[in-house]
Amino acid sequence: MERRKFLGLGLVAAALVPASLSAVDFRKEKPDTWTAHKVADSIKALYGDIKPEEKDVTVKAPKIASNGGAVPVTIQSDIAAKSVALFQDMNPESTVAVFTVAEGGIVDYSTKIKLKATDENGGNGTITAVVEGTDGKFYMGNVKINVAKGGCEG
Amino acid sequence: MGNMKIKAKVKGDIVKVKAAMKHAMLTYDQAKAKGVDANFITHIEAKVGDKVVFEVSTSQFLAKDPLLKFKFKSEGLKKGDKLAITWTDLSGKTVTEDKKIKGLK
Repeated sequence: MERRKFLGLGLVAAALVPASLSAVDFRKEKPDTWTAHKVADSIKALYGDIKPEEKDVTVKAPKIASNGGAVPVTIQSDIAAKSVALFQDMNPESTVAVFTVAEGGIVDYSTKIKLKATDENGGNGTITAVVEGTDGKFYMGNVKINVAKGGCEG
Repeated sequence: MGNMKIKAKVKGDIVKVKAAMKHAMLTYDQAKAKGVDANFITHIEAKVGDKVVFEVSTSQFLAKDPLLKFKFKSEGLKKGDKLAITWTDLSGKTVTEDKKIKGLK
Protein backbone atom coordinates (compact mmCIF):
# COMPACT_ATOMS: atom_id res chain seq x y z
CA MET A 1 0.00 0.00 0.00
CA GLU A 2 2.76 2.38 0.99
CA ARG A 3 4.83 1.52 -2.09
CA ARG A 4 1.93 2.29 -4.40
CA LYS A 5 1.52 5.69 -2.80
CA PHE A 6 5.18 6.45 -3.28
CA LEU A 7 5.05 5.54 -6.97
CA GLY A 8 1.95 7.64 -7.42
CA LEU A 9 3.78 10.69 -6.05
CA GLY A 10 6.63 10.08 -8.46
CA LEU A 11 4.29 10.17 -11.43
CA VAL A 12 2.71 13.44 -10.37
CA ALA A 13 6.11 15.07 -9.92
CA ALA A 14 7.18 14.02 -13.42
CA ALA A 15 4.09 15.54 -14.97
CA LEU A 16 4.87 18.93 -13.46
CA VAL A 17 8.29 19.25 -15.08
CA PRO A 18 8.00 21.11 -18.41
CA ALA A 19 9.21 19.04 -21.35
CA SER A 20 11.17 21.79 -23.04
CA LEU A 21 11.79 25.05 -21.23
CA SER A 22 12.24 27.15 -24.33
CA ALA A 23 9.43 25.71 -26.46
CA VAL A 24 6.85 28.43 -26.74
CA ASP A 25 3.89 28.15 -29.00
CA PHE A 26 2.74 31.73 -29.45
CA ARG A 27 -0.36 30.58 -31.28
CA LYS A 28 -1.55 28.99 -28.06
CA GLU A 29 -0.13 31.59 -25.67
CA LYS A 30 -1.36 34.69 -27.50
CA PRO A 31 -4.34 33.77 -29.66
CA ASP A 32 -5.57 37.35 -30.14
CA THR A 33 -2.36 38.32 -31.91
CA TRP A 34 -3.22 36.09 -34.83
CA THR A 35 -6.71 37.45 -35.44
CA ALA A 36 -6.00 41.17 -35.14
CA HIS A 37 -6.25 43.14 -38.36
CA LYS A 38 -4.22 46.25 -37.52
CA VAL A 39 -0.51 45.96 -36.78
CA ALA A 40 -0.86 48.11 -33.65
CA ASP A 41 -3.57 45.78 -32.29
CA SER A 42 -1.47 42.71 -33.00
CA ILE A 43 1.52 44.21 -31.23
CA LYS A 44 -0.64 45.08 -28.24
CA ALA A 45 -2.16 41.58 -28.10
CA LEU A 46 1.30 40.04 -28.20
CA TYR A 47 3.44 42.34 -26.08
CA GLY A 48 1.04 44.67 -24.30
CA ASP A 49 1.20 48.46 -24.34
CA ILE A 50 4.78 48.84 -25.44
CA LYS A 51 6.68 51.70 -26.99
CA PRO A 52 9.35 50.11 -29.17
CA GLU A 53 12.39 52.19 -30.05
CA GLU A 54 12.92 52.39 -33.76
CA LYS A 55 16.50 51.24 -33.88
CA ASP A 56 18.87 48.32 -34.36
CA VAL A 57 16.35 46.16 -36.22
CA THR A 58 16.82 45.74 -39.95
CA VAL A 59 14.01 44.44 -42.13
CA LYS A 60 14.83 43.76 -45.75
CA ALA A 61 12.45 43.08 -48.61
CA PRO A 62 12.46 43.96 -52.30
CA LYS A 63 11.15 47.47 -53.03
CA ILE A 64 8.87 45.98 -55.63
CA ALA A 65 7.72 42.36 -55.33
CA SER A 66 6.50 40.75 -58.51
CA ASN A 67 4.95 37.73 -56.79
CA GLY A 68 2.73 38.50 -53.83
CA GLY A 69 2.58 34.81 -53.03
CA ALA A 70 6.25 34.56 -52.07
CA VAL A 71 7.92 37.78 -51.01
CA PRO A 72 11.42 37.32 -49.54
CA VAL A 73 11.88 39.01 -46.16
CA THR A 74 14.92 39.16 -43.89
CA ILE A 75 14.97 40.29 -40.25
CA GLN A 76 18.29 40.99 -38.65
CA SER A 77 19.31 42.47 -35.32
CA ASP A 78 22.29 42.34 -32.95
CA ILE A 79 20.12 42.93 -29.90
CA ALA A 80 20.14 40.15 -27.28
CA ALA A 81 16.60 39.04 -27.93
CA LYS A 82 13.92 36.92 -26.34
CA SER A 83 11.45 36.99 -29.20
CA VAL A 84 10.97 38.63 -32.59
CA ALA A 85 7.59 39.29 -34.20
CA LEU A 86 6.92 39.91 -37.88
CA PHE A 87 3.91 41.94 -39.03
CA GLN A 88 2.59 43.48 -42.23
CA ASP A 89 -0.39 45.68 -42.98
CA MET A 90 -1.57 44.26 -46.30
CA ASN A 91 -3.29 41.00 -45.32
CA PRO A 92 -6.60 40.49 -43.47
CA GLU A 93 -4.63 39.74 -40.32
CA SER A 94 -1.35 41.44 -39.59
CA THR A 95 0.76 38.90 -37.69
CA VAL A 96 2.94 36.72 -39.88
CA ALA A 97 5.24 34.96 -37.45
CA VAL A 98 6.65 35.13 -33.93
CA PHE A 99 10.14 33.74 -33.40
CA THR A 100 11.26 32.55 -29.97
CA VAL A 101 14.97 33.25 -29.73
CA ALA A 102 16.72 30.27 -28.19
CA GLU A 103 19.85 30.46 -26.07
CA GLY A 104 22.71 30.91 -28.49
CA GLY A 105 20.21 31.95 -31.12
CA ILE A 106 20.98 34.70 -33.58
CA VAL A 107 18.40 37.12 -34.93
CA ASP A 108 19.00 36.72 -38.63
CA TYR A 109 16.01 35.11 -40.24
CA SER A 110 14.93 34.87 -43.87
CA THR A 111 11.70 33.53 -45.21
CA LYS A 112 9.08 34.16 -47.86
CA ILE A 113 5.67 35.56 -47.06
CA LYS A 114 2.34 36.26 -48.71
CA LEU A 115 1.28 39.85 -49.18
CA LYS A 116 -2.12 40.76 -50.57
CA ALA A 117 -2.30 43.60 -53.05
CA THR A 118 -5.82 45.03 -53.10
CA ASP A 119 -7.50 48.00 -54.71
CA GLU A 120 -7.61 49.48 -51.23
CA ASN A 121 -3.88 49.30 -50.53
CA GLY A 122 -2.81 49.70 -54.14
CA GLY A 123 -0.13 47.11 -53.60
CA ASN A 124 1.61 49.28 -51.04
CA GLY A 125 2.39 48.24 -47.53
CA THR A 126 4.84 48.11 -44.67
CA ILE A 127 6.55 45.09 -43.17
CA THR A 128 7.39 45.57 -39.49
CA ALA A 129 9.54 43.58 -37.08
CA VAL A 130 9.44 44.04 -33.30
CA VAL A 131 12.25 42.64 -31.16
CA GLU A 132 11.66 41.84 -27.49
CA GLY A 133 15.03 42.33 -25.83
CA THR A 134 16.26 40.27 -22.92
CA ASP A 135 16.64 43.68 -21.25
CA GLY A 136 12.86 43.96 -21.15
CA LYS A 137 12.83 46.71 -23.80
CA PHE A 138 11.36 46.59 -27.28
CA TYR A 139 12.84 47.66 -30.59
CA MET A 140 11.49 47.79 -34.08
CA GLY A 141 12.34 48.23 -37.72
CA ASN A 142 10.32 48.29 -40.88
CA VAL A 143 10.49 48.48 -44.65
CA LYS A 144 8.02 49.70 -47.24
CA ILE A 145 7.08 47.47 -50.10
CA ASN A 146 5.08 47.50 -53.30
CA VAL A 147 3.49 44.29 -54.53
CA ALA A 148 2.40 43.83 -58.12
CA LYS A 149 -1.26 42.89 -58.22
CA GLY A 150 -2.53 39.53 -59.35
CA GLY A 151 0.41 37.60 -57.96
CA CYS A 152 -1.03 36.07 -54.81
CA GLU A 153 -4.16 34.20 -53.69
CA GLY A 154 -3.96 31.62 -56.51
CA MET B 1 12.78 11.80 -45.65
CA GLY B 2 10.91 13.46 -48.38
CA ASN B 3 9.12 16.49 -47.01
CA MET B 4 12.06 18.74 -46.25
CA LYS B 5 15.32 19.86 -47.77
CA ILE B 6 17.71 20.80 -44.99
CA LYS B 7 21.17 22.29 -45.36
CA ALA B 8 23.13 22.99 -42.18
CA LYS B 9 26.75 24.07 -42.28
CA VAL B 10 29.21 25.57 -39.85
CA LYS B 11 30.99 28.79 -40.78
CA GLY B 12 33.30 30.03 -38.06
CA ASP B 13 31.36 29.68 -34.83
CA ILE B 14 27.94 29.87 -36.43
CA VAL B 15 25.74 27.20 -37.97
CA LYS B 16 23.87 28.46 -41.03
CA VAL B 17 20.69 26.64 -41.92
CA LYS B 18 18.55 26.69 -45.02
CA ALA B 19 15.39 24.61 -44.81
CA ALA B 20 12.53 24.14 -47.24
CA MET B 21 9.43 22.15 -46.40
CA LYS B 22 6.50 21.07 -48.56
CA HIS B 23 3.16 22.42 -47.40
CA ALA B 24 0.25 23.98 -49.27
CA MET B 25 -0.11 26.68 -46.58
CA LEU B 26 -3.76 27.24 -47.49
CA THR B 27 -5.06 30.48 -46.08
CA TYR B 28 -8.63 30.80 -44.84
CA ASP B 29 -9.49 32.76 -48.01
CA GLN B 30 -7.84 30.25 -50.34
CA ALA B 31 -9.47 27.31 -48.56
CA LYS B 32 -12.89 28.93 -48.72
CA ALA B 33 -12.52 29.40 -52.47
CA LYS B 34 -11.66 25.71 -52.83
CA GLY B 35 -14.32 24.51 -50.43
CA VAL B 36 -11.85 22.84 -48.09
CA ASP B 37 -10.55 23.49 -44.58
CA ALA B 38 -7.74 25.96 -44.15
CA ASN B 39 -4.50 24.26 -43.25
CA PHE B 40 -1.09 25.78 -42.77
CA ILE B 41 2.01 25.23 -40.66
CA THR B 42 1.60 26.89 -37.27
CA HIS B 43 4.85 26.00 -35.52
CA ILE B 44 8.37 25.11 -36.59
CA GLU B 45 11.10 24.00 -34.23
CA ALA B 46 14.73 23.03 -34.83
CA LYS B 47 16.73 21.05 -32.29
CA VAL B 48 20.16 19.59 -31.90
CA GLY B 49 19.66 16.71 -29.49
CA ASP B 50 17.53 18.14 -26.67
CA LYS B 51 18.45 21.74 -27.30
CA VAL B 52 16.03 23.96 -29.19
CA VAL B 53 18.09 26.19 -31.49
CA PHE B 54 15.32 27.82 -33.48
CA GLU B 55 11.60 28.20 -33.01
CA VAL B 56 8.81 30.12 -34.68
CA SER B 57 5.02 30.26 -34.38
CA THR B 58 3.61 30.94 -37.82
CA SER B 59 0.49 32.07 -39.64
CA GLN B 60 -1.28 31.43 -42.93
CA PHE B 61 0.91 34.14 -44.43
CA LEU B 62 4.11 32.21 -44.92
CA ALA B 63 4.46 31.39 -48.60
CA LYS B 64 3.53 27.97 -49.96
CA ASP B 65 6.30 25.41 -49.39
CA PRO B 66 7.93 27.62 -46.77
CA LEU B 67 11.59 28.43 -46.96
CA LEU B 68 13.48 29.38 -43.82
CA LYS B 69 17.01 30.55 -43.22
CA PHE B 70 18.35 30.91 -39.71
CA LYS B 71 21.59 30.81 -37.72
CA PHE B 72 22.71 29.74 -34.28
CA LYS B 73 25.98 29.39 -32.36
CA SER B 74 27.92 26.20 -32.91
CA GLU B 75 29.38 26.23 -29.39
CA GLY B 76 29.06 22.84 -27.74
CA LEU B 77 28.28 20.95 -30.93
CA LYS B 78 30.41 18.06 -32.11
CA LYS B 79 30.95 16.12 -35.30
CA GLY B 80 28.02 13.90 -36.13
CA ASP B 81 25.44 16.17 -34.47
CA LYS B 82 22.21 16.34 -36.39
CA LEU B 83 19.76 19.18 -36.79
CA ALA B 84 16.18 17.97 -36.42
CA ILE B 85 13.36 20.16 -37.73
CA THR B 86 9.74 19.60 -36.75
CA TRP B 87 6.73 21.38 -38.13
CA THR B 88 3.17 21.20 -36.85
CA ASP B 89 0.15 22.37 -38.81
CA LEU B 90 -3.36 23.51 -38.01
CA SER B 91 -4.74 19.99 -38.41
CA GLY B 92 -2.32 18.74 -35.75
CA LYS B 93 -0.06 16.87 -38.14
CA THR B 94 3.63 16.94 -37.31
CA VAL B 95 6.58 16.03 -39.49
CA THR B 96 10.17 15.71 -38.27
CA GLU B 97 13.24 15.31 -40.43
CA ASP B 98 16.91 15.63 -39.64
CA LYS B 99 20.24 16.24 -41.29
CA LYS B 100 23.83 16.04 -40.13
CA ILE B 101 25.40 19.45 -39.60
CA LYS B 102 28.35 19.83 -41.98
CA GLY B 103 31.69 21.21 -40.93
CA LEU B 104 31.61 20.27 -37.25
CA LYS B 105 34.86 19.07 -35.71
